[in-house]
Amino acid sequence: MIDFSMYDVKAPEILGYTCDKCGTSYYPAPMICRKCGARRDPVTKRNWTTFEMGGPCTLLTWTRVWNLPEGYNKKFLQFGIVQFENGLRASGRVEVDEPKTGLKLTASVEESDERPGKPVKIFVFQ
Amino acid sequence: MAPRVGIVGIGHTRFGNSSEYDLADVLAYAATDALLDAGFLEHRKEIDQVFVANMASGLFCHQSAVASSMVSRLDMEPVPAELVENGPASGASAVKLGTMAILSGMADVVLVVGGEIMRKVSGWNATDIVSTMLDTETEYNMGLTLPGFGGMFTRMYMEKYGLTERDLALLAVKNHDNGAKNKYAHIQATCTVEAIADGPEADVVNNYIAEPLRMYSTCPVSDGAAALLLVNMDSPKAKLFAKKAVRIAGVASATDTHCVHNRADPLQLNAVRIAGEKAYKMAGLKPSDINFAELHDAFSILELAISEEVGFFERGKSFLAARKGETAITGRMPINTSGGLKSKGHPVGGTGVSQVVELVRQLRGEAEEGRQVKDPKYGMSVNFGGFGNNVVAVICAKD
Repeated sequence: MIDFSMYDVKAPEILGYTCDKCGTSYYPAPMICRKCGARRDPVTKRNWTTFEMGGPCTLLTWTRVWNLPEGYNKKFLQFGIVQFENGLRASGRVEVDEPKTGLKLTASVEESDERPGKPVKIFVFQ
Repeated sequence: MAPRVGIVGIGHTRFGNSSEYDLADVLAYAATDALLDAGFLEHRKEIDQVFVANMASGLFCHQSAVASSMVSRLDMEPVPAELVENGPASGASAVKLGTMAILSGMADVVLVVGGEIMRKVSGWNATDIVSTMLDTETEYNMGLTLPGFGGMFTRMYMEKYGLTERDLALLAVKNHDNGAKNKYAHIQATCTVEAIADGPEADVVNNYIAEPLRMYSTCPVSDGAAALLLVNMDSPKAKLFAKKAVRIAGVASATDTHCVHNRADPLQLNAVRIAGEKAYKMAGLKPSDINFAELHDAFSILELAISEEVGFFERGKSFLAARKGETAITGRMPINTSGGLKSKGHPVGGTGVSQVVELVRQLRGEAEEGRQVKDPKYGMSVNFGGFGNNVVAVICAKD
């Protein structure tokens, strides 16, 4: 018997990449490792290791945007750039009432279907 | 020895709302003005190459092949024509490629036209279209916009150097003063620091767009086009033109990381600095030789940051110079004499060409009364693509 109602609901994830040859990590992934020149194969990902991005991070800067683009029906959204403990940085949504540069936050990944088209993965910093 | 490249014709539509018109018509009108200015309209089929700069006609107007369309509108077939796209720096990229075509020996006369019709779509939609120049997965998908990056950059600069929102308002006042006198400007109106910063209604008049950036620190969405006729000044053809050439002394571009978060110091605009250094080297000049500049102030903070990267002011000190009036028309380094993107407007694909038109107008002494710099010899423009990931600098000289 097959039960089509049973399927895995995969939690949304955003991936970082580590070059197996020299151990340098990236987000987003480059085609060629900046440090050792190793090439990445986007299909097989051979010789590169992926890892889930998220967790503790520090807010480097932020803004509250009042003129949002097509698809967003909110009054405003807050955005920021954070630095993770491994040194990688990312841009995403800031969902705290009073953002402040230097604030310690936690990054998680959510799926957004605000814009037309396929849903996309976004960082949420809380 | 490489030939000298000069500008012998300029054209410019008034920036603003041209959304009822066809992009090819707007481009062709500016081109016709440039050909008339050069006295070369009847000879237009002798032009060796046309470059049309445009960022996103496919998205704004559902229209492609605009270079072919414009050439046909001007009855210029079979002159070769190609489109140049480099985001909001498309215009200066086309100037660079036109210069390269002449320097390579493949062309003696090149027509460069840049323009955009952005207002056929809603502001909501235009904000989305402009945002497509960001990195898709790491920036655009998050919902980020160019004003969003402008806001984050401004906050970092404020926290590091002590810039205030009032300082940004002073730049808006200066640029609106200049733009109000520019017949091509989108917003030909002055504003006061009382109205947009100091007064009781300032929060309403000058509302936040992307904190701490306010409306008067953000450029409008504009339609329009500008055009230049370039010539090999050492070719026999150089004698055919009505006006003395303004020489392109230096032109250069550079790139930086597409993702802003991957810059070691996000406050450093490396592509601006490197493009500027290369342009100075080509021209054999240094920052102190430049008499005035057109800098890409899509957000007022960029006027400050760019002016520091190209060496006009020390890092973190440009707003102190602006407070003292040093960047006003009568100051030691007038910046954005046209009104800049803030007041003149920013039809994205046309801005880089428009900036060079302003350099030529100033160097010819043809700017309107009250905004003409006194006897300038060298002018510089910086056209900023993406959020600083692809930048072009141009230096023009009056010989």
